[in-house]
Amino acid sequence: MFVTQLNDANGQLRRLLAACLQLARAFREWYLRPSTREQRGLKLLREWLSQKQLTQYDTHRYFEVIGCHTGKRYRIYHGNGANVIELDDAALPRTGWCFVPNDHLVAGDVMLAQKIALETDERGALASANNFTPR
Amino acid sequence: MATQIIMDLNGDTRHNFDAKDVKALFEAERRFKALTGAGFTAATRTASGEPFVTRTFDPTVEETLFFPRLVGG
Repeated sequence: MFVTQLNDANGQLRRLLAACLQLARAFREWYLRPSTREQRGLKLLREWLSQKQLTQYDTHRYFEVIGCHTGKRYRIYHGNGANVIELDDAALPRTGWCFVPNDHLVAGDVMLAQKIALETDERGALASANNFTPR
Repeated sequence: MATQIIMDLNGDTRHNFDAKDVKALFEAERRFKALTGAGFTAATRTASGEPFVTRTFDPTVEETLFFPRLVGG
């Protein structure tokens, strides 16, 4: 009798824990979802990326651009600061560049502004940038 | 329908206007001048999708994107 009640309680406890776990997962997904403005920024970015850049971004969370003045290659990582890396001929990180719009913008907007700046006015973009040693 | 897209705290704000409507065109040109005068960069795309920066209002452009001045982070 006692053993049967114990088994029932154990089963109920397991079901309760499973339900709690499911709720916790749902909450985590809800909490980590991109906000509407972040989604809007990413949508705009995706509209302006070339097909090759879009594929890179979807695969690696970065995309590469070619500087319009020097022909150098830059990798723009998902983020909104210290996310531009100049690559050498072997595609290894050479220099990090930090330049961002002077308003607080979402990551998609920041990355798009960086892309357009490097592709249309590379020298101007880097003139305003701070550099750093990439890890 | 032409569109001006302005990056802002909400992601972006879009202004659609009919380029054949004189009043709407005037308003779009006023907005273009106000934004570029405030330091925004105006960019459009070629037919092949490559971006280019424009400094004068072109009423025939379908889509213009404005982003704030870039500064060292």
